[in-house]
Amino acid sequence: MMQEHDQVVQDTVHTAQDAAAAVVHDAVEQAEHGLDLGEVILHHTADSWTIELHPFESLPLQTIHLPRFADIHVFGMTINLSPTKHVVFMVLVAVLVFFVMWLTGRMLKKQRAGEQAPKGFAAAMEAFVLWVRDDIAIANIGPNGAKFAPLIMTLFFFILFSNVMGLMPPPLNVSPSSNLAVTAALAILVFFTVEISGMITLGPKGYLRTIFPVVPGMTGVGAVVMAIAMAPIEIIGKLVKPFALAVRLFGNMTAGHIVILALFGLIFLFGNLPYGTNWAIGITTTALVTAIMMLELFVAFLQAYVFALLSAVFIGLMQHEH
Amino acid sequence: MLAFPSMMMAAEGGGPASPFEVNFGLFFWAWIVFGILFLLLKKYAWPAIVQATEEREQAIAKQLEEARTHNEEAAALLAEQQKLLGEARSQGQQLLADAKHAAERERSLALEKTKQAQEALLDRAKRDIAAEREKALRALREEAVDLSLAMASKLIEQRLDSDGDRKLVLSYLGSLEEAN
Repeated sequence: MMQEHDQVVQDTVHTAQDAAAAVVHDAVEQAEHGLDLGEVILHHTADSWTIELHPFESLPLQTIHLPRFADIHVFGMTINLSPTKHVVFMVLVAVLVFFVMWLTGRMLKKQRAGEQAPKGFAAAMEAFVLWVRDDIAIANIGPNGAKFAPLIMTLFFFILFSNVMGLMPPPLNVSPSSNLAVTAALAILVFFTVEISGMITLGPKGYLRTIFPVVPGMTGVGAVVMAIAMAPIEIIGKLVKPFALAVRLFGNMTAGHIVILALFGLIFLFGNLPYGTNWAIGITTTALVTAIMMLELFVAFLQAYVFALLSAVFIGLMQHEH
Repeated sequence: MLAFPSMMMAAEGGGPASPFEVNFGLFFWAWIVFGILFLLLKKYAWPAIVQATEEREQAIAKQLEEARTHNEEAAALLAEQQKLLGEARSQGQQLLADAKHAAERERSLALEKTKQAQEALLDRAKRDIAAEREKALRALREEAVDLSLAMASKLIEQRLDSDGDRKLVLSYLGSLEEAN
């Protein structure tokens, strides 16, 4: 009887010892290999060649591997045109924008055909689109604004939908506007729109004056010297605008994602606190992420507004240059 | 660590290690996707949404333009009417001035005539008076001579009384002076 009892005690002790050893082993392993949160966060904000469907782990299709194409070498540059995660989401965002706007247009047409005032979703979207058209595009470009309005409207809604897409729950939490190449491509589009519309509106002579400005009140050799001296500054001024556009949007979106991922990282850093206090980490993280998500929702609208507004302002400045 | 497998797979999936690596291939994808979206929206979505507002804007612009032309027409009409009014006024003043002038001339002419007539009358009256006076003087003188002669004949008929004669003549002269 006694022996049996001893045996039980000994077993219990062994089990406890084993468990303790396992915990220590885990802790040591975690300490040795380290959970490099920074690296994880950067990987998650970066583009990728795969699409993760991690919330649905029971499904067989967990990771979609996108096709890889060979590199292309053009003009000393190596370009790989393989679609990436951001490309897929860019297409998704474009389809969504088109679907929403097409639906709005169709509803409006139907409502007007029935001699009804626009209502519901269509009325809201109409007001939103008209706000972008009137208060962003036309107000800042001037009388020519209606001509450029479709570009500004498309920019605004494409960027807005991209930004908001990043706030969706996984696996939809991918925002193409947090990719520097995407924002740079959009900014370059704006740059060419500004310059080419300037050439058309101002004529060759007027356009050259935006590079070689004639200083008011100067004539002759002095004016020529000043014009040549100002040229590099003017050219830098032209290039800085799209650069700022691209970096501002990319920075805001990427920063938001990094903050949210960092807050989620708190769970993995402190989630295995002893004595059942880990629930506190869950609550804290949830509260913080909710607050930051609200801020990010605001930032998503704000940055779309800023990009569209500045594009309109740049086009308008060029139109009224003389 | 148990919660991580799906997160770690991102790292295993391949691709850039951070968002700061720029994939130039994405430029083309972005341009293509955005360009197609732009064209599709421009053709199928924006017109339907913006159409009503644009029509309203055009209608308002047209009305404004019409109002402007109407205003201009009204202003032109007003200017013309004012011009006409001014002309009429100046014509009236001209007429009035002419009439005044004519009246003045008429009046002065009449005055001149009256003056001349008056002077002629005055002259004749003066001449008549002078002639009457001459006649009277002549008559008086003749009377005086007659009287003298009569007195002389009376004196001569009576005696020549020097004292009495003297008195008589003196009294006669006194009566003449009285008569004068």
